[in-house]
Amino acid sequence: MIERKVIDTDILIIGGGTAGCMAAVEAKERNPHLTVTILEKAHIDRSGCLAGGMNAINAYINAGETVDRFVSYVRDDACGLIREDLVRSMAEEFEYAVKKVEKWGLPILLDDQGRYVKRGRWNIKINGESLKPILAQAARQAGTRIYNWVVVTDLLTDGNRVVGAAGFSLRHSLFYIVRAKATLVSTGGAARLYRANNRDDAAYKTWYCPYNTGAGYAVGIRSGAEMTSFEMRYVALRTKDTIAPTGTIALGVHAPQVNALGERFMATRYAHLGGDGAPTPYRTYGPLQEIKEGRGPVYLDTRGLSPDQVRELKAAYLDMYPSMVLYWAANGIDPSKTAIEVETTEPYIVGGHCQSGYWVDANRKTTLEGLYAAGDVAGGAPFKFVSGCWAEGVLAARAMGIAIREMPYPTVSETQMAQIETRIFTPLRRHGTLRYAVKPAELEARLQKIMEQYAGGRATYYEMNAAMLSIARIQLAALPDATERLVADDLHQLMKAHEVMDRIDVAQVLVEHLLYREETRWPSYQTRTDFPERDDVHWLKFVNSKRNPQTGAIEMFTRPPSP
Amino acid sequence: MPIWIDPEKCNGCYNSRQPPCVRMCPGDLIVKDMLTHKASLKYVNDCWDCLPCVKVCPEEAVEFHLSAQFGEKGARLIPHVHKTRDQITWELIDIADKKEMFTIQTKIMAVSLDEPIEGVSPAPDFTI
Repeated sequence: MIERKVIDTDILIIGGGTAGCMAAVEAKERNPHLTVTILEKAHIDRSGCLAGGMNAINAYINAGETVDRFVSYVRDDACGLIREDLVRSMAEEFEYAVKKVEKWGLPILLDDQGRYVKRGRWNIKINGESLKPILAQAARQAGTRIYNWVVVTDLLTDGNRVVGAAGFSLRHSLFYIVRAKATLVSTGGAARLYRANNRDDAAYKTWYCPYNTGAGYAVGIRSGAEMTSFEMRYVALRTKDTIAPTGTIALGVHAPQVNALGERFMATRYAHLGGDGAPTPYRTYGPLQEIKEGRGPVYLDTRGLSPDQVRELKAAYLDMYPSMVLYWAANGIDPSKTAIEVETTEPYIVGGHCQSGYWVDANRKTTLEGLYAAGDVAGGAPFKFVSGCWAEGVLAARAMGIAIREMPYPTVSETQMAQIETRIFTPLRRHGTLRYAVKPAELEARLQKIMEQYAGGRATYYEMNAAMLSIARIQLAALPDATERLVADDLHQLMKAHEVMDRIDVAQVLVEHLLYREETRWPSYQTRTDFPERDDVHWLKFVNSKRNPQTGAIEMFTRPPSP
Repeated sequence: MPIWIDPEKCNGCYNSRQPPCVRMCPGDLIVKDMLTHKASLKYVNDCWDCLPCVKVCPEEAVEFHLSAQFGEKGARLIPHVHKTRDQITWELIDIADKKEMFTIQTKIMAVSLDEPIEGVSPAPDFTI
């Protein structure tokens, strides 16, 4: 009934997003004879983080700045801990990547002298409503084979070597086996591990793309890849209700944060850390403390903006987050008269803002042979945003092209294919056969309840201690048993079933990371009430993990910051 | 409900099996009923509010709504994609019925009414 489709390719890219499209083009340009295949969970034209558009490139070396200064800024912003080699190598490719996408048709705003318009120190303004279809078209025109609506669930392995990936089609009863000489994971990070800010028909109104459900991490975790820094979660400061990015206001029109008393608390209470320019975790931690201590709500003070500035602000949101503009219209809010309230989101696991992800070398190769990682799934290099993901896609593609020279196509054993096929389709086959079935949404609710309450969710101001995390560990350990009763009644629900199974694997690793780091390095992202201070003597190093593919045991260890 | 597809305006993109709104939803949430030839948002609670479906609809049948928990639903925001495909005009109507227009430079890619699925269907049985 389920048809098998076996594909051989030189390079397989899992996830046709920011990093994936760029990698595909780079690989084909360097060697047009290579076959490059993208497996994409949605449709490549409008999938993932960039579906709605983007109004700025937030990592760019503007005139007068240097790569050295960028690396130093990123180190300070990440509270001292980064892989400098990775941040440097990506920064060196910003110019190459941005120029390339501009050539493909991305409108970048220019001043009257033809220079890019700065939005902040490391930012330039774009009209990026169509950024994603522009990237997709470039990948298509480069000759990439693109399979839309394929949900990847497992890596194919031959010993310690990754030899492709397997998954299923969302449109037909198809089981995909893609055998590849080199495989790039570029799926994006993980949203919806924790309860979100809104409910009901706005439950998915999250900042991070809610369809990025950690599949890229999960496939690596299950195959024993080394992961880093999951404990550096990302908690975003966003506009109240609509969860729209605040950089558009804070950087675009220079609005400072104020509390209910009108105090510029960042400038006063956090002056020693740089005030409004304090490291990003503190710009989330600061407002949270105001609210916790009774001086909330917290606002971005837009009062006094000129009518032109308000129009400019609205236009900027229309390029990326149109619901912000509709929200103001619906609630009679004029940003020049009313300050814009902000709130903090649920925690996400992302390697692009923070640095959770695969432990990679300078070529973005993971600890598994044949497997590379770029974008939000790649660890150690925060402050990537869009252009850093492009840069990593470029770097990985160049390295893969060289690594696979003269390599024969790999083979995959029938046993392995059969095992994966069974694992994939069991929730569908089980449908209607169980008295106490579990639906994907029910299991997700259980996962999010545990994470929210015991692993530093919004309910506890993101704070946690060893006792709480130990409860999270115990409760999460029971969830894989519940997946034995997980059912799906169609292919869409089968995708939801795998998304929740992936997130359980990610959440278990996350909790181990949170337990292991016995200090508070990134307040709000990682606040340990039992170890409230930053401890550079013992913890200025990476916390890494590896799950044993046979036993499922998660091994924790540390690595020095710059190898 | 974040988006709503007006059944009066939706023509299902004729005999397209996967009209643009269905294809461009990153969450796989929109389905076309092949009997009624209407598209609709099947999974209302899973919508991200990202709006590709609104912008690609050739009939402007996909309306962008604010979830009721965020305030008055009477306000409207309607994108009009220019035929030249290098501009988009957003029509914003607030609760006092005040209208504001924003025309923004962009580069809008043409979206066909249907397309073959790589590895599945050879070509849609379809002509415009």
